[in-house]
Amino acid sequence: MGPAPAGEQLRGATGEPEVMEPALEGTGKEGKKASSRKRTLAEPPAKGLLQPVKLSRAELYKEPTNEELNRLRETEILFHSSLLRLQVEELLKEVRLSEKKKDRIDAFLREVNQRVVRVPSVPETEEILQDKDGLNQRYFRKRALYLAHLAHHLAQDPLFGSVCFSYTNGCHLKPSLLLRPRGKDERLVTVRLHPCPPPDFFRPCRLLPTKNNVRSAWYRGQSPAGDGSPEPPTPRYNTWVLQDTVLESHLQLLSTILSSAQGLKDGVALLKVWLRQRELDKGQGGFTGFLVSMLVVFLVSTRKIHTTMSGYQVLRSVLQFLATTDLTVNGISLCLSSDPSLPALADFHQAFSVVFLDSSGHLNLCADVTASTYHQGWSLLWLQVQHEARLSMMLLDSRADDGFHLLLMTPKPMIRAFDHVLHLRPLSRLQAACHRLKLWPELQDNGGDYVSAALGPLTTLLEQGLGARLNLLAHSRPPVPEWDISQDPPKHKDSGTLTLGLLLRPEGLTSVLELGPEADQPEAAKFRQFWGSRSELRRFQDGAIREAVVWEAASMSQKRLIPHQVVTHLLALHADIPETCVHYVGGPLDALIQGLKETSSTGEEALVAAVRCYDDLSRLLWGLEGLPLTVSAVQGAHPVLRYTEVFPPTPVRPAFSFYETLRERSSLLPRLDKPCPAYVEPMTVVCHLEGSGQWPQDAEAVQRVRAAFQLRLAELLTQQHGLQCRATATHTDVLKDGFVFRIRVAYQREPQILKEVQSPEGMISLRDTAASLRLERDTRQLPLLTSALHGLQQQHPAFSGVARLAKRWVRAQLLGEGFADESLDLVAAALFLHPEPFTPPSSPQVGFLRFLFLVSTFDWKNNPLFVNLNNELTVEEQVEIRSGFLAARAQLPVMVIVTPQDRKNSVWTQDGPSAQILQQLVVLAAEALPMLEKQLMDPRGPGDIRTVFRPPLDIYDVLIRLSPRHIPRHRQAVDSPAASFCRGLLSQPGPSSLMLVLGYDPPQLYLTQLREAFGDLALFFYDQHGGEVIGVLWKPTSFQPQPFKASSTKGRMVMSRGGELVMVPNVEAILEDFAVLGEGLVQTVEARSERWTV
Amino acid sequence: MVARRRKCAARDPEDRIPSPLGYAAIPIKFSEKQQASHYLYVRAHGVRQGTKSTWPQKRTLFVLNVPPYCTESVELQEKPDLAESPKESRSKFFHPKPVPGFQVAYVVFQKPSGVSAALALKGPLLVSTESHPVKSGIHKWISDYADSVPDPEALRVEVDTFMEAYDQKIAEEEAKAKEEEGVPDEEGWVKVTRRGRRPVLPRTEAASLRVLERERRKRSRKELLNFYAWQHRESKMEHLAQLRKKFEEDKQRIELLRAQRKFRPY
Repeated sequence: MGPAPAGEQLRGATGEPEVMEPALEGTGKEGKKASSRKRTLAEPPAKGLLQPVKLSRAELYKEPTNEELNRLRETEILFHSSLLRLQVEELLKEVRLSEKKKDRIDAFLREVNQRVVRVPSVPETEEILQDKDGLNQRYFRKRALYLAHLAHHLAQDPLFGSVCFSYTNGCHLKPSLLLRPRGKDERLVTVRLHPCPPPDFFRPCRLLPTKNNVRSAWYRGQSPAGDGSPEPPTPRYNTWVLQDTVLESHLQLLSTILSSAQGLKDGVALLKVWLRQRELDKGQGGFTGFLVSMLVVFLVSTRKIHTTMSGYQVLRSVLQFLATTDLTVNGISLCLSSDPSLPALADFHQAFSVVFLDSSGHLNLCADVTASTYHQGWSLLWLQVQHEARLSMMLLDSRADDGFHLLLMTPKPMIRAFDHVLHLRPLSRLQAACHRLKLWPELQDNGGDYVSAALGPLTTLLEQGLGARLNLLAHSRPPVPEWDISQDPPKHKDSGTLTLGLLLRPEGLTSVLELGPEADQPEAAKFRQFWGSRSELRRFQDGAIREAVVWEAASMSQKRLIPHQVVTHLLALHADIPETCVHYVGGPLDALIQGLKETSSTGEEALVAAVRCYDDLSRLLWGLEGLPLTVSAVQGAHPVLRYTEVFPPTPVRPAFSFYETLRERSSLLPRLDKPCPAYVEPMTVVCHLEGSGQWPQDAEAVQRVRAAFQLRLAELLTQQHGLQCRATATHTDVLKDGFVFRIRVAYQREPQILKEVQSPEGMISLRDTAASLRLERDTRQLPLLTSALHGLQQQHPAFSGVARLAKRWVRAQLLGEGFADESLDLVAAALFLHPEPFTPPSSPQVGFLRFLFLVSTFDWKNNPLFVNLNNELTVEEQVEIRSGFLAARAQLPVMVIVTPQDRKNSVWTQDGPSAQILQQLVVLAAEALPMLEKQLMDPRGPGDIRTVFRPPLDIYDVLIRLSPRHIPRHRQAVDSPAASFCRGLLSQPGPSSLMLVLGYDPPQLYLTQLREAFGDLALFFYDQHGGEVIGVLWKPTSFQPQPFKASSTKGRMVMSRGGELVMVPNVEAILEDFAVLGEGLVQTVEARSERWTV
Repeated sequence: MVARRRKCAARDPEDRIPSPLGYAAIPIKFSEKQQASHYLYVRAHGVRQGTKSTWPQKRTLFVLNVPPYCTESVELQEKPDLAESPKESRSKFFHPKPVPGFQVAYVVFQKPSGVSAALALKGPLLVSTESHPVKSGIHKWISDYADSVPDPEALRVEVDTFMEAYDQKIAEEEAKAKEEEGVPDEEGWVKVTRRGRRPVLPRTEAASLRVLERERRKRSRKELLNFYAWQHRESKMEHLAQLRKKFEEDKQRIELLRAQRKFRPY
């Protein structure tokens, strides 16, 4: 952070972040002007669309100039690629301070300098400071007084727009004075005044980490417990004093080294952006820009960075260093002196976990990074920095095309980066926790800051308790706000909330058991002490009797929330923090994908049951005797079989009295006088039969042969396995254990037969037809996709939850019809296969947030979304696909998803969404994301989590309200109704002699009719999961009066308009048609806007 | 056209429903209950000389804008089409009935007088009356569902009949092909088929492409790369051109991102 001491070193402050932040807004505005100017001059890409580059032959093959060759060579050496180079240059342009601003800031600094010098009756520092002021916070108190005196005088000066206090790096003993100019430059610059003692005023040997400078007798009014025991060291306190004495020399060091080369300066700027995007520099004790600048200086001094490097290379080297060097084990030092009187690194390691000594050899620059002092030697922040550096290095090494964006331009707020978060509130509880944890020495060292004192021990406790469930734990404390000089400073308890982020380890989440040592081992007592009453003696299958903790969790969703149980238990047991103060945010969204009656499961178990039943069925098919051809493959082709069905099916058994029966075809029918029966959707299974010369080579005949197979399958399954079956020409429905499967027989060569076209010369060529494409999609691509995603679920157990939440949200926004099921599943899969710059989500919550982020920020116009299933696409292939994409952009769907099996066509987005629907989704996601994140980060609890799932209805022209009686999935609604209708199912599943009512969903049948009849005039929107309303939007273009044409009279009427006969939609009659077509289902038709009046 | 139409509308003595030239407009409603009505636009079916039409002249009424709940009794189509005459009924197993929207109808009367009577209709016509109720909504969907439950026996019979005919057709064709095998036609050409004694490459595009590809690969294997100085120079130049092209592409991307203000980190 920018130490800009009072006095004459004002010049150095220009490069520091405090100055840069507000300046950024300024440069941004200028940038806008510049780019808009540029846009009018240089011809821009049409409508923000990338065009394939066309360069003439002469341009491509002209003789290169020396300059060009040099630049090319430089790019190759200093950057990965020319694109990266351009990107970095652009970014630096955005964050760099312009010369003009620099001048204005310099002028202001000079003014400040003059005024500080002129402040009346400022005594010389030597007169204020006395010997032994290093003891018992005496120095800090005098420092604060001095600052208050300065503030009093400066506040009266008309030069300043605002004069206020804030803490330096969150240290409450060290206030600093913030000065901002009056007028238009108020947001341009903030000058921070740090009073400093003369450099050699304190003797460094008095401030070694092992020394005590806050006496217990003074601090606690008593000498340390017992007699003669030594005073505890106060390493943190000592550091704070030391920081002030060396401030000036650090500044000089930084400016000498960094100003030696542009690359270093650029590198530091990039590193600061990198830190800030990851919120690592945020709050108290962050990994500040100052720290990272010193790290660059260190790497320069050890020749790991040299001055010829580009900014990008500096960034890379620092990340590489962070990723591979563990400063908690081997500290580093900028001090070159080999003076034996200097303290050893080991001394520092004892007091601090992370050690990076400055050039004086006395100060640990990373002292604040260590959350706890000498109690437990580890640092959350350092682990997080290392984690981020490793992720970034992996990203850089993968040579991903958009590496730059993921590395430097993508923000990683805690709620989107961590699987679960928890808020501790109110913070005053931590005071009691400090006493419970006996942290008096820490309090003494931290000057009474109980939040900082408790942080280390608490997180250590949690880390230990969460064990294998945890990948990474991080904390965030909001920065202490600045305050007016006439007000009291904020108290510790006012500093808001302590928020912890948990990055879970999916492999560790499946276990409900913490296995302890055997009962007779000495460690058993320790285990009991750690877990308290939760620890029990248990006898295991191998005969061992051990201490163990067993958590109650039956379902996957409950297992995911075991960390919640662990955290609340341990905090209450060891730190006296009651459950009411722990606000754990891990599963509030689970409610949206919970089954109708189940509240303890998010459906993973039900899906597994269905998949198991499918496995049984496929075994039966393989073993079927008496089929003329053998089965060559059985493949699932339904969302249930890839774990992405929002509401998984449950085994059903019909109550016959509820239905009409059609005995001769052993089928049930819906009854007029009853509510609509439960919705049962058969799960599609594709059954490939071996190729054989017996198959006819004619499309019509193949259909007949297949029908014969469907009939035969039904017969055989009934005969050999007693299953209830029903065959049609295209499929066979099978009822097995309460699940219904739809088996579709497929013949491999059929798509080819459909494609064959014979030219007049007798040459047979293959041409895609609508029918062949559909067949290929349903029988080849869909099973492949289903099996690939089934595999993904085995690797990432959170996939199912994420995909289903995402789909549920899109449908709840009434946009479900616009998107093929598969396309949304693939977008969800992309979050797992390409998580950069994050790690793959381990909770539905974080996955859903990233889904919203991806949808709202992805540039679909200029990029295909890669979903590299099984990592089959190489980097080169991706480059090739991308250029093919650009060349064919206009012919491709608005949303293009590329998988290894589907490299060009994007089959799952061919039929939609339209550009408008996609745009609507983008807008909704962009609104929902900040709203939901704010709710989840609210320490008082998320409130009504369903808010973002409720669709806006005011945009529709007509609302058709439906009667719940005929909505079979009524109970699935986002706001689940308190009461609904009986749907004709028995609570106990069992065999049924009659086939269930399949796929009967009146709202869907109604919608099909509406779209067929009025699709030219209007769009219809509906949530298939229990929606009670259909939104209708008129198409404005169809409402333009048109001349009469026999082919487009649909739903229109002829009107005389200004003596001219034109056709307009017959809206009055159409509104009545809405009611007629949906008789019984439709309650009301509300025309809400007058837009349609023509 | 437009001018004449205007004249026609203006001249209309009675306050009749506006209709395009040559058509009569007949209001139609689903039942008594509805307030507003759709309009059928009807005229006698007639075609320009020389155009073929299978619909009988003079006896056929051409109806536009038939509402979606009229599903029975006359031949309905999605688009006006002259040539289509009612084909032999298609199998309901293999060609399910499409969901109806607004359609056009050709109504064939026994006598020409039927057409003129229809043209003079004032309406409003009612589709569903008490004596002849037409199903819609829940009623319709339940009865459609019941109709869709298949009869496996009927399906089997249909498949068997079709396959018998198909097998017979194939057998005949094969017999004919066998007869012609090796027999020269009047110019003396002999047709070579896959079934003959010496089968040849199938005449498909894929097969011929395969052959071409194999040829190309054979040729390229023989070529020497970077052997002559000019080849070397050219490949270097080619590399440079690639870089230039890439650079242009990158510049364009940057320009786009800059326009979208994508370089402001926060």
